[in-house]
Amino acid sequence: MTQQPAPKITLAHVRKEFGGTPAAVVAVDSLSLDIQPGEFLAIVGPSGCGKTTVLNMLAGLEPVTSGTMTMDGKAISGPGAERGVMFQDYALFPWKTVVGNIGFGLDHGPAGHGLSRAEREARVTRAIDLVGLKGSETKYPHQLSGGMRQRVALARLVANEPKILLMDEPLAALDAQTRIILQDELLRIWGQDKPTSERRTVVYITHSIDEAIFLADRVVVLSSHPGRLKRIVDVDLARPRNDETRKSRSFAELSQTIWELIREEAYRATMR
Amino acid sequence: MVQRIAGMMASFSGVLMGNSTAPRHWPAWTIYLRTMGLFCLLWYAMSWLTPNKILLPSPLDVASALRDRIDDGELVANATVSLTRLLVSVSIASLIAIPLGLAMGTSRLLEDLLEWPVELLRPIAGIAWIPLALFMFGIGNGLPIFIMIYTAFFPLLLGTAAGVRNVDRRLISAARTMGIPKGTLMRHVIFPAALPSIMTSARLAVAASWTAVVAAELVGAPSGLGYAIEYYRSMLDTPSVMAFIIVIGTLGFLCDAALRSLSAALMPWANAEEKR
Repeated sequence: MTQQPAPKITLAHVRKEFGGTPAAVVAVDSLSLDIQPGEFLAIVGPSGCGKTTVLNMLAGLEPVTSGTMTMDGKAISGPGAERGVMFQDYALFPWKTVVGNIGFGLDHGPAGHGLSRAEREARVTRAIDLVGLKGSETKYPHQLSGGMRQRVALARLVANEPKILLMDEPLAALDAQTRIILQDELLRIWGQDKPTSERRTVVYITHSIDEAIFLADRVVVLSSHPGRLKRIVDVDLARPRNDETRKSRSFAELSQTIWELIREEAYRATMR
Repeated sequence: MVQRIAGMMASFSGVLMGNSTAPRHWPAWTIYLRTMGLFCLLWYAMSWLTPNKILLPSPLDVASALRDRIDDGELVANATVSLTRLLVSVSIASLIAIPLGLAMGTSRLLEDLLEWPVELLRPIAGIAWIPLALFMFGIGNGLPIFIMIYTAFFPLLLGTAAGVRNVDRRLISAARTMGIPKGTLMRHVIFPAALPSIMTSARLAVAASWTAVVAAELVGAPSGLGYAIEYYRSMLDTPSVMAFIIVIGTLGFLCDAALRSLSAALMPWANAEEKR
């Protein structure tokens, strides 16, 4: 067993309530979790389990009600460029073209500090190539399909090169084929061919169990109302992962295990 | 109708792309001409039935009066004066109201502070200040410009503030997670996101201000289109009065069309967003 490095992010007894004290709705309760540097962590759970709330708190957009949330030992008190977020509804700037959206953080934020104009442009171009948006550079978001917008949001996140990537259902709006291709791309961007020390840290929210297993080192399963930690499932599938991984027996077994963890609540959620 | 004409202008200037209406239809302006023709015909019939030509001159009389006023330079001179006043007052109003509106939209404190004075002043029509303004400014440029700034100010202020308040929070969140500093956030996120609302309020301001210029010039200025109407009324030259009224309407329409084209050119993204 190798020496475990200090966790990148630590959640200790995190609780999040919305609304006033008497009628407060508890979204997340007593959630404790260590996220290792270079780890790909997926969070799955039925709707209403507070997945997005957890992500917003990690991003610094929502304060925790109680408990602590630290990164590199320091409390997370607000948003920062080292934690890039890809939002579920993309949050693209409608007045910017594809290029303008992807380069926004580089042009106006700390991600572009110390980079020349040419370097910034090169990064944008690389991000565009990566997600397959070539030919759409000068289009505005309203001219793009849902899947294309999602690619722009992904490219914008990648172009900023944050140390930690927080992703909220980033591939949900894509068709099945594109989704598989981008899953492979995502693992490459994350650095699955590189040693752990050179990988970025990813917190990835998805409703797809198979996607979570294919991508992640560990899958956090939450229960709903309020969101609580149900189980952390280690995904010990070899890397690099590819189509063979998707077909393997252990992949199917893991998928079955996680599905059984959330099945009951997922059914109940559909009845609501 | 107004929208179709403006839409055509915009597509002529090549700002809008790829959404032409069915090509076999008559172009919008021919429909416009037909409607106007019908209106003139009705007008002609009514003036023919009216015994006193001073009460309702025929379209032909008005047309010839219009040509006379163009020939003697009255029309261009007065229109230039009124349009200059419009430009000056809307510019001054924008320079004060838009920054104040941006501040009001972002600062709760400032909003609370300004809400009462604004809500008390806003319902007072600009022209209600004319008698007082006559004392303050006398006859000249000062009075109409004061009235027009006053009239343009409130739609601009409230439209800007509302635009800022309605900016999609997710866009601000997205920018903040990229570590965008506060000042940049205002300039590169909040302002562009509020721009469609600001442009709409600018159109309202110009329309209101144009209405006020005529009223103000009727009383308080020795020049301009309003003054010309009053002058020809005292001469009992109703065809010229009608001619100037038509000019006022046409110029008001053209100002709005120009602002629409400007919006479309500034924000090709917003135009398409509205159409969804």
